[in-house]
Amino acid sequence: MDSDNATGLLGGLKVLELGSYVSAPYCALTLAKLGADVIKIEPPTGDESRKEITLGLNANDKGISSLFLSLNHNKKSVVLDLDILEDQKRFLKLAESTDIIVENTPIEYLRKRNLDFDKLKENNASLIMISILPFGEGNAYSDYVASDLSLFHMSGNAHGIIGPVKDPDTEPPLRAGGYQADMVAGLTATTASMIALHKKMKTGIGCHVIVSAFEAMVTMAISGLANTAFGKPHPTRKLQEQEGSSIGGMVSAIGGVLPCIDGFVAISPREDAQWERWVEMMGHPDWAEDERFNTRSARENNVEDLWVFLSEWSLTKSKYDISRDGQNRRIPCFPVNTIEDLLRDSHLEYREFFMNIEHPELGLLKYPSLPYKLNNVTVPVPSRPAPNLGFHNKVFFNETGS
Amino acid sequence: MNELPLSGIRIIDFSWIIAGPTAARHLALMGAEVIKVGSSRRPDPSTKGSPYQVYNQSKEYCALNLSNKDSKNIAIDLISTADVVIENFAAGVFDRMGFDYETLREYRPDIILLSSAGTGHTGPDKNFVAYGSLLQHYTGWNTISGYGDGNPIKGGLWADPWVGMELSMILMAAINHRMESGKGQYIDYSMAESLTASISSSILDYQISGKLSEPNGNKSLNKYPHGLYKCLGTDKWVSISIDNNIQWNEFCELINQVKWVNNSDFNTVEKRKLYELEIDKVINDWTKLQEDYDVMHILQAIGIEAAPSLDISRVYSDPSLYESGFLSNHVFADGTEKMLPTLPWNFTNISDFELSAAPNIGDSNEKIYLDLLGIDIKIYKDLIEKKVIY
Repeated sequence: MDSDNATGLLGGLKVLELGSYVSAPYCALTLAKLGADVIKIEPPTGDESRKEITLGLNANDKGISSLFLSLNHNKKSVVLDLDILEDQKRFLKLAESTDIIVENTPIEYLRKRNLDFDKLKENNASLIMISILPFGEGNAYSDYVASDLSLFHMSGNAHGIIGPVKDPDTEPPLRAGGYQADMVAGLTATTASMIALHKKMKTGIGCHVIVSAFEAMVTMAISGLANTAFGKPHPTRKLQEQEGSSIGGMVSAIGGVLPCIDGFVAISPREDAQWERWVEMMGHPDWAEDERFNTRSARENNVEDLWVFLSEWSLTKSKYDISRDGQNRRIPCFPVNTIEDLLRDSHLEYREFFMNIEHPELGLLKYPSLPYKLNNVTVPVPSRPAPNLGFHNKVFFNETGS
Repeated sequence: MNELPLSGIRIIDFSWIIAGPTAARHLALMGAEVIKVGSSRRPDPSTKGSPYQVYNQSKEYCALNLSNKDSKNIAIDLISTADVVIENFAAGVFDRMGFDYETLREYRPDIILLSSAGTGHTGPDKNFVAYGSLLQHYTGWNTISGYGDGNPIKGGLWADPWVGMELSMILMAAINHRMESGKGQYIDYSMAESLTASISSSILDYQISGKLSEPNGNKSLNKYPHGLYKCLGTDKWVSISIDNNIQWNEFCELINQVKWVNNSDFNTVEKRKLYELEIDKVINDWTKLQEDYDVMHILQAIGIEAAPSLDISRVYSDPSLYESGFLSNHVFADGTEKMLPTLPWNFTNISDFELSAAPNIGDSNEKIYLDLLGIDIKIYKDLIEKKVIY
């Protein structure tokens, strides 16, 4: 590794990604954005995410999807068929000069091909390998499979998403949109890889880290888990049994989403002092004097009525005006942003949150960069778009890419 | 060889509530020495809840009243011994206390300062007051979640534990970079940007097509069957996802629907979706007579994805979490014991974490002020008297 500003935090770090779909590719993407040199190994059929449906794109033709593009910029794509001997040898060769391998192959996949950690470290004693498995190793579920759907539901996170419902037996718990469970597994793997790298830099000792995607998702519900451990009953999903504090899927206390002319605004004037400032902002409407609403606990007990009054008021206003006026009074409130709103948000623009990457076929697109600014290096490092399948085979093996 | 991966790293943790303490927690369990600093004058609001016992595992905790001006030199002395400082006050607060990065550098030139705030520390909205639950709406998470009926719902996972995991990642990357370059780092972290960064494919979708895929609940664009099915008992559900035709055929045999096995009217996702109501009813009729865990075991035995949709108390009872050691025993000062979560990974060939129960404020006062900083015992007692150490 060297410390040149142009190479970010991880310049010189060599990473092999044997990743499919979201979790391992997301982990390696972060390393690539921080400056690592990432080679992505794909099977001849390509990463699964290349086939993801993208509106406006005929994905299966060219192996391009918005999901693939979003997770694989700044990587090199090498196609290897790990079922044939020649490519197994190529993989072993690449692994010899690698610092970190990130992979999410099915359990036993690498062992069956004699490409597992014990084999790889024979020629690379300080190798770090990060394996993401749905349920980790060494427990009753280790050979079970799980995608985002099951990880979200089994980890307890789906029970809180829509908030209480009238009939929990006909309205099932809900997973969030996107790929959050897989991304949590990938993010957790990135943290583990940086801890393992520290150990290696200090001692020269590599290691094999098993990340359990299920446990990574349980970690996202860690407060509920602690509450359970100390005997607190879990929140009910049944609206009738709810103690009046949850609206629009918000987590607790007084807070929720109000309709506006131009969308929605999310507000939470939960403390009495915040509520006083909120009422002042609304111009002291008569109903706010009502004893149903004049203390926090009263408001919690009359949430439905309260929301009717608040909505009547907000419906004639802009989400931006409400949030700005509220924030000026130190009340937590935010516009509910659409993607379009985010792309033209002045705060994000000021912070240069989006970075432009030119794609040869799709042109210039805005990608999220990284959610942090560092003073002594520039990250993310300048990025190339996600590679075509096998584009870099010719670089590594003197052959023509497919 | 058996030293923990992060032994030798010292972190002074001024952060409170959830995200910051969670970041420090991951590193404390992996062997870093984390010294939490706070005051009884304005205690960490999380202290009164049970989750505090998890957020602060394996840490030291000393009391220091930062609103008293005599505390500043002590804080600086402490920071001078440290590799990393973490804070997550509202933007600008830590600076006004006199602990801005430039000042800290004078005492420890290669210090790494991690500052986490709702919308970051620069830009027109840097002073926005934020709760994690509101940030989920602000950051676009909710536009991709829900049943597609247009009403915003809470868009996803709870922000704070997610942010905590990312904070510990970027801290470790900065520490590793310092080992090579000798350079410290100021890390200006925005919770809001962290959430927005995780919906990158939707952001590209919108730019490519001018629209977004409708939120589709538990369904999938690429797979069917894929969703939740009712099981025995109130609010008991199981997720099932069929990945390919081989699985579809095996599944149909298992649920006694031989008419669908190798049937060309049902051999693609698109064709099966035409019969969605009928298929879902048949699957529900099969699942509703069974325990959710049983459905998981039966289907997973033939390689098909299935899992119970658990509430958090049932997660806490799941046997795999004990088997793997994720839930481990903690012994508290009063002798009571609890099984609490540790870390979601296993470093297979080195010892990977050490566990001690969360401290109370002031537990480490003598260890830190007398032993580490070498403050004279009389002065120490005076500082307690004057509520500087408080």
